[in-house]
Amino acid sequence: MKALLKIGGACLLAAAAGTTLFPFYWLVTLSLKREVDQFAIPPIWIRFHPTLAHYYDIFWVRPFGLYFLNSVIAASVSTLLALAIGTLAAYSLARFPRPEVSFWILSTRMFPPIVSIIPLFLMLRWANLLDSVLALAVLYTAFNLPFVVWMMRGFFEELPRDLEEAAMMDGETRLGALWRVVLPLVRAGLAATAAFCLVIAWNEFLFALVVAQTDAAMTLPVGIASRVTQYEIKWGAMSAAGVVAMLPVFLFGAAMQKYLVRGLSLGAVKG
Amino acid sequence: MTKASEAKGNRRRPRKYSGRLWLAPALIVLGALSIYPLLFAVQVSFRTPSGYGFGNFSRLINDRLFLISLFQTLVYTAGALAVEFGIGLGLALLANRQFRGRGLLRSVLLIPMLLPPVVVAVIWRLILNPEFGVLNGTLRLLGIDTAPLTWAAAENTALPSVMLVDIWEWTPFLFLLLLAGLQSLPVEPFEAATVDGASKWQILRHLTLPMLKPVIAIAVLLRGMDLLRVFDQVFILTQGGPGFATETVTLYIYRTAFRFYNFGYAVVMSFVLLIATTVIARSFLRLLGRQPASA
Repeated sequence: MKALLKIGGACLLAAAAGTTLFPFYWLVTLSLKREVDQFAIPPIWIRFHPTLAHYYDIFWVRPFGLYFLNSVIAASVSTLLALAIGTLAAYSLARFPRPEVSFWILSTRMFPPIVSIIPLFLMLRWANLLDSVLALAVLYTAFNLPFVVWMMRGFFEELPRDLEEAAMMDGETRLGALWRVVLPLVRAGLAATAAFCLVIAWNEFLFALVVAQTDAAMTLPVGIASRVTQYEIKWGAMSAAGVVAMLPVFLFGAAMQKYLVRGLSLGAVKG
Repeated sequence: MTKASEAKGNRRRPRKYSGRLWLAPALIVLGALSIYPLLFAVQVSFRTPSGYGFGNFSRLINDRLFLISLFQTLVYTAGALAVEFGIGLGLALLANRQFRGRGLLRSVLLIPMLLPPVVVAVIWRLILNPEFGVLNGTLRLLGIDTAPLTWAAAENTALPSVMLVDIWEWTPFLFLLLLAGLQSLPVEPFEAATVDGASKWQILRHLTLPMLKPVIAIAVLLRGMDLLRVFDQVFILTQGGPGFATETVTLYIYRTAFRFYNFGYAVVMSFVLLIATTVIARSFLRLLGRQPASA
């Protein structure tokens, strides 16, 4: 009976893994199938003639290369800014604790995006900054900042103060001690925080949709969305674009494994 | 501030303050891009097509479509959250022991929620298409009549279908948080209960769940907050349709603001969402302040 339960449990977990993986398999195969094979009845699961035509299509016929570049700029610029500003604030809050300020910072993260984006849209329109990837990157900075502050504050609090105080005794400034002594010690946490910021900015849709007015400022999600809400949809190209949009995320995923639970819970659960 | 750092600060004055000022850039950015927009939004909320006034607020009460979208959002949130929590807890309990491939399982389950929601929605639009999707195609092969399985394409099945996609994408979130919570529980109470002859069900009911409560609360609050603002998947999967069947609050506000350019009314509706979220967020912050759930 006990063995039976164990096998049943293992089967359930395997089923969960299979259900999770199948959609990816399907997206990747669709992006490699010729159009006649994509929606064949009955479906073609394994044996098909692979083609790279859809990838050629999105990069050389459609401007997905530009969207990709825009996504890279928005995600990397905002991550760098949020890390720089957020790490300083986090260190400050870890060493000179002010719980009410910490909670206030976290609470700005809880605003539903639709609440902020309407006034932000009007502000950007007034300043003539709509349709700009850099403007989008600045919005993402504000969006990711509370997250960086909370994650890094947690990492700093776990470090003993003696280390940087010893460095300061030796004549380092506080900034020098932070840069040369403290930050190297929280490297892994910093990398995980950066990976989270990159993923959040890379995946973000609503802000990007509102800011982009033309191809020039579209990120990958917006570029895909603008084509799957049309009347006639090129599913081959869209699945290829989907594969391209999800690839970087796998790289970031590796960096955040160790602090995954902590990041997902905004630092509340230290997994 | 502790005594030690105070003593230090007094000895070398400049240092005492340099670290505190580092908070300033973050506060300026958040002030300009989070707080100021909110105050500005209050002003916008009084803008109506016929000048400034309370028109947007009175319109809210009579807007049946808004109430429907609010109701559908609540159904979506409650339904998806209940299923995600149930499956997530079940899987976490199953996985809460050493076995080969547990690390791999964790990595696999991590993938859906890291993906761009837009891509997730594209995948599922392809899979769920009633005529040429792989799901109905496979079911037909098995001899199942797929005529009633209209998924996101018909009014009566659209909302559950969109919820299904959410469940696929976000059950792992609850799974991972609850598993982390389970693994951080102390062993002794469980050993004691087993020695005392408690049944598995009794242990779960009276020991595991009560001890897991802080983590459960945090996971459910965070997920609930995100569900209330759902936008991306619905936008791609159904655009709120067919008809009005999957219209959510955020989608309705988006349309009001950026399709019909009625910013004042959109802001007023977004405040309703903000109030609902604030109630949840405050409980989250209170929970966090009371006890650092160092699970």
